[in-house]
Amino acid sequence: MVAPIYIIATLLGVAFGLGLFGKKMNSSAGFLSLLALGFASFISLEWLAGFWLYDRAAEYIYTAGFQPPFSINLLMGKEEALFTSLINIAGFFGAVYLWDKLKKIGSNGYVTLMGMILGLNVIIMTRDLFNLFVFLEISSIATAGLIIFSQNLRTIAAGFKYMLATGIISGILLLGIVFMYYFTGTLNIDDFLAVHSLAVKGFGVAVFFVLIAIVLELKPFPANGWGLDVYESADSGIAALISAGTATASFFVMYKLLPLGTPQFHMVLAGIGLATFIGSNLMGLKQTNPNRLLGYSSIGQVGLLVTILGLSEFLGERTTFIAYSILISHFLAKAGLFWISGIVKRSTIKEWAVLRNSRLLMILFGVFVFTLIGFPPFPSFFGKWDMMLQLAASNQYFWIIGVLLGSLLEGVYLFRWLGYALKLDNTELPSFEVKWNKVLPVVVFGAATFVIGYFVSSIHPYAKVINYIPLAVALAFVLIDFLPAYVKNTLAILAMAYYYYYLYPTLSSFGAVFGAIFMVGGIVTLIAGYAYKGQRRGFYPFALMMFAGLIGLIEAKTTIAFFYAWEVMTVGSYFLIIRGKKSMPHALSYMIFSMGGAYLMLAGFAIASVGQFNLDMSTLSHVLVYPTWVFILLAVGFMTKTASLGLHIWLPGAHAEAETDVSPMVSAILLKAGVFGLVTLFLAMGDQLIGGEVSVIYLLGWLGAITAVMGNLMAAFQEDAKRLLAYSSVGVLGYILFGLSLMSHLGWLSAISISVTHFMFKALLFLAIGGVVWRVKTKEMYRMGGLIKRMPFSFFSVLIGIIVLAGLPPLSGFSGKWIFYNAIMMKQWYLQGALIFFSGIVAFLYTFRLIHSVFLGQLKDEHREVKEAPFWILVPQYLIIGVLLFFSAVPNSLLKPIGKIITPYFPVGALDWTGQHAVSPFGYWNGLVIFYIVVSIFLVVLVWLIINNRRAQKVKQFNIVFAAERPFKPETTHYAYNFYAHYRKAIGILVEPKITGWWEGVAEWAHAMGDKIRKIYNGDGQSYVIHIMAFIVIIYLISFGGF
Amino acid sequence: MQLFSIEYISLVVGFLILLIGIWGILTRKNILKMVIGFSLFDTGTHIIIVALGYVKNKTAPILNQPDLQTDTAHKIVDPVPQALVLTAIVIGLGVTALMLVYAMKLHNEKKTLNIQNYKDLKW
Amino acid sequence: MGTIVTKILYALLTLFIVTNYGLILSGVVHKIGARVGRRHGIRFYQPYIDLIKNYTFRTRITHGIMYYIGPVFRLTGGIGLLLFLPVIYGSPVFDNFSFAGDLTFVLYFQFFGVLGMALGAGESGHPYSALGVSRGLAQTTAMELPLTLGVLALAVQYHTLNIHDIVAAQQGSILHWTLFTNPLAAIAMMLSFLAMMGRSPFDVVLAPQEIPIGPPTEYHSALLGVLQLNRAIFPAAKLILFMNLLFGGATNWGELIIKTFFIYMWSVFVGIAYPRFRVDQSVRWYLGIPLLIGVAAILVVKYF
Repeated sequence: MVAPIYIIATLLGVAFGLGLFGKKMNSSAGFLSLLALGFASFISLEWLAGFWLYDRAAEYIYTAGFQPPFSINLLMGKEEALFTSLINIAGFFGAVYLWDKLKKIGSNGYVTLMGMILGLNVIIMTRDLFNLFVFLEISSIATAGLIIFSQNLRTIAAGFKYMLATGIISGILLLGIVFMYYFTGTLNIDDFLAVHSLAVKGFGVAVFFVLIAIVLELKPFPANGWGLDVYESADSGIAALISAGTATASFFVMYKLLPLGTPQFHMVLAGIGLATFIGSNLMGLKQTNPNRLLGYSSIGQVGLLVTILGLSEFLGERTTFIAYSILISHFLAKAGLFWISGIVKRSTIKEWAVLRNSRLLMILFGVFVFTLIGFPPFPSFFGKWDMMLQLAASNQYFWIIGVLLGSLLEGVYLFRWLGYALKLDNTELPSFEVKWNKVLPVVVFGAATFVIGYFVSSIHPYAKVINYIPLAVALAFVLIDFLPAYVKNTLAILAMAYYYYYLYPTLSSFGAVFGAIFMVGGIVTLIAGYAYKGQRRGFYPFALMMFAGLIGLIEAKTTIAFFYAWEVMTVGSYFLIIRGKKSMPHALSYMIFSMGGAYLMLAGFAIASVGQFNLDMSTLSHVLVYPTWVFILLAVGFMTKTASLGLHIWLPGAHAEAETDVSPMVSAILLKAGVFGLVTLFLAMGDQLIGGEVSVIYLLGWLGAITAVMGNLMAAFQEDAKRLLAYSSVGVLGYILFGLSLMSHLGWLSAISISVTHFMFKALLFLAIGGVVWRVKTKEMYRMGGLIKRMPFSFFSVLIGIIVLAGLPPLSGFSGKWIFYNAIMMKQWYLQGALIFFSGIVAFLYTFRLIHSVFLGQLKDEHREVKEAPFWILVPQYLIIGVLLFFSAVPNSLLKPIGKIITPYFPVGALDWTGQHAVSPFGYWNGLVIFYIVVSIFLVVLVWLIINNRRAQKVKQFNIVFAAERPFKPETTHYAYNFYAHYRKAIGILVEPKITGWWEGVAEWAHAMGDKIRKIYNGDGQSYVIHIMAFIVIIYLISFGGF
Repeated sequence: MQLFSIEYISLVVGFLILLIGIWGILTRKNILKMVIGFSLFDTGTHIIIVALGYVKNKTAPILNQPDLQTDTAHKIVDPVPQALVLTAIVIGLGVTALMLVYAMKLHNEKKTLNIQNYKDLKW
Repeated sequence: MGTIVTKILYALLTLFIVTNYGLILSGVVHKIGARVGRRHGIRFYQPYIDLIKNYTFRTRITHGIMYYIGPVFRLTGGIGLLLFLPVIYGSPVFDNFSFAGDLTFVLYFQFFGVLGMALGAGESGHPYSALGVSRGLAQTTAMELPLTLGVLALAVQYHTLNIHDIVAAQQGSILHWTLFTNPLAAIAMMLSFLAMMGRSPFDVVLAPQEIPIGPPTEYHSALLGVLQLNRAIFPAAKLILFMNLLFGGATNWGELIIKTFFIYMWSVFVGIAYPRFRVDQSVRWYLGIPLLIGVAAILVVKYF
């Protein structure tokens, strides 16, 4: 073990030594500094390893040969080792990143950088309060020094404001320290901690000044304008150091001094943190400058960390885990993002589209964004999970709401940014230079997010049992992304098939049904992927990630595993959705709704965990506190995926703009994840009563019925074929929700069987329409028409698809309707039932419109040569058609097994099967006989017609009787645009986009709020000082004045 | 502490200077005057530190004085604040110097020292 | 095997009777309509003549497969509907294939032909066909709502969706008819019935008085003949359905003819008395009073 004092000695020694270097020795000065920083990193990492692996004892380092309080002492404990490691690593890679810049500045630059790192190291290790002050000053002077090396006005002005602010703050700190000394006669932190009392009069004020100064160092809202300006204007490399280094060290100081505060002050601290977290993320919404945006995010994240510290009483022994996992995520991600920003060098986030020129950096950008927000498998995911669970366990619901709200706001602007980078046009933008020394740190930090994420999950008592293999396989596809699409497609199908083969024996009950939908469905839709030429980069990792998540849902034994899988699925599907050409805004709203839903689920799971001995899914069946809320939170969370009315607005765009084979994946398969969630929830928790009276499931039943009607009505008014299908999914999912809400055997039978058939017909329709769109290059139905002649196979697919969708006998869709009638009769939900049937009839409107406007009517001139859809897109369609026809003729092959699965849960009211003859308490139905009879009659009539109408002359569509005139041209003769104009006139008022408008209003309001609030940062250094003063006064009053 | 004792007066004076310094930082538009305000703020702090360490009728803790060889602890003022203030002065000097460098650079760029003219970064 | 053959023969018998009845009924109703309008009108057997004429036309064109099989769908729907109904109560001969599906099935099956026909009409490429379909579907959605509510009310009342049982429950006295035991449901359903029959004021779908418009616009010769055949069978089947549900069914053909004739007259009288609705008007109308009556019917059976 190298003694930690050598960190200081090395850095200080080299820094002084560099003073002797001349201008011409810049390179060797650089190497020497790197060596020094590397050595410092080595020492702290070695200590960290020692603590972690060998359980070493913490070590005090005494200076000047005296024991404290007569001398300064340093401590190297587990935590110090961790934090100094972070600082030194940041310093090392920061120096690598800044190589060119520092070289230009000369040895002074290196000296300053090392001064900063040195300062931060001592800040962490020192146990002496005055020493802390000194090194805080050293590091902030060094920081200001680094800032000033940028010869540009904005940077210098920002640096001056920074100096003013930090100068005032350290003055206050100094005052506090001196008074603390005055009252206690010691400067040793450990001595203070022994006394610890903010409560003691006089002394308490001194402690308050120390604490508030540290709080101010952490840039609390709103006294943080100076910090933002520096983040925005400083060189990205330096901003990265400030964000990753200074903020980390300041956080640790707060952590160290935390016991000085009273519980009351801790609550104030938590409040400050939360206000900062929400405030800066709200203000970030309107921000377009990447570095300033990162600044907002950085400040927000630190605010979150402060909240965690403030809430440490409630978080208990998990505080460290929570704080560290979030801190390290922030550390890695923020440094990485600032570094990327420095490489890209664009001044608005919209111009980040240029990032796509470097695939590696684009991937890393995505990794950092997801790390920051707390998606799995990154460390902060586990931190946030534990935080919520602990808060729920201590009844701290206010903080749960606040933290989740802040996270959501952060997600909004980060994902918008990611969307810009992924999708906006970048042809006009100048490309950027990629230097290895700038990329290396980013790569290292990016890789570290995964490693540490895995590490964090492995030390988490519940996360370590999660099955990471599917996700790992998905990520492995990143490595083989250079292979041609058909190879990857084959591998993906094989991987899915193998996993299904492996999983199949373990699946039971509803897991088996949904497993089949997810896995078999996935394989079938993947087949269409053969239609794509080239490499199709970035598709397979995410497609498989989505499926990995879906599998995880089924495999999940614990709530954390479930939530983990849910988030993995969300990430995968987000990237699939955003692949579409115009998907950017829709992917964003998908993501925001997903995050919102996920946070509700998180809160629900957190409350459900209160008082439980473990996190098993089965604990949901005996939730001890607020079961109604748990139920509602989880149900609404799942319904963001099933797109129930009110939460549906993301769906149409996301599904419609997606690629041909992505639409069926997200529409036919992904939505079922929400259904699976609801199934799990309903089975575990049963019905819940609001206020002991109103049944939640009863309300959900109404919601389902209304969703079904509205979804179908909106589908009927679409001009865009894929959008029509997307709205149709909203409607069908409403059916399913309604069916589940019936909480009866038949209700579930219909809901589950519709889930299965919906997969089939929606995949069929999306593939068929996708194939058409592939060829005709438009989604507007009125621009198509008459394509039956050119694409008969696609036509037949759509025909079968819509017959099943509309539930017309004799195909299998009818079984769902028939069961519904019986289920409604038994449940006596007549009015809702009538709505459901109304929606069923409305489905005729859009199904007919779909097939007519696309395939029937007039063929357009430009489509006279169009070809049938690609072979590989047709293959899965005909596989599905085969199965559908089989289910139609032999309905009990589908319904009987599902009935068997349902019977243990709902034994009453099962169907009575005799062969294909089903008998319910109300009626009967024999699918096979009907099939035969209808087909026979059809054939007889057909023969009769053929006998009477042999050798009919074939004429083109345009050859029609038209009031003794000829029609003008196909475009004007194809009745397709605004197909249901009269219907819109009659009931269009129902489908006005009120809900969309409402959500847009919410978004607008949040942005306007953020915009208004951020005006306090008026750029005036004096205002910032006033903010600091006012902040101190207000917090003082709150802490002591009994506000 | 007695009302008109030297340490009390210096404490009050220290706070006054500190407040004057803050007033200067907050109200003066000229950057140099703000830096002077900051200096005053610092000085005020230093006076406060020294005032806190002062004990009446005791001498400076310079140990080679002949009469301090015995019973030292009761004859000297608290040496720690004095050590602290020395450090603080040095740091204050560093900060002030760096601020002046900033002032100079700002002036070089825009030929003005009015803080109001440096509001390019905001929101 | 024998039973199946017997079944088929019985079915053909039913079909034969109903077809003729439907054709005559259609002629008679035209005649009545004309007489009310102070015109002479057609001969009551005119539908037969039209049918024969259409089947013997020599112009035979087709716009494609869907166009060709559209009428097949239509007639299959008509015949199927008829054959899935128990026509004469208590008669195994005229019970046909009603064992295959209950009331739910029958209600859904009526769309089979309509939508199939709509597809055929769509392939003709004639905008008026598509326009007619669009109107028809829109009107249907609204019309179905009171009907569904009425049917649900019936099902609640009789605790079954089995048409046999519903008819059985109405035997014995005229006062056992649903019309009297559940008047609200009956009213709601009879209002929907008006649009089902496609007569004024709900006849804008076919718009028979104007130049050709509506789904059959492009159809001619034998194709039109098939449609005409359906136009005899399909309304008759629907009449039988309503008779079974609301008017006690029929125990013999005489009763059936009398009852269905008067049920039909209901739509004829309304049609003659009232002018035509535009589609948006009819949709709104159905979502008004008939819907409320339907809801009332449900509430009555549920809570009283």
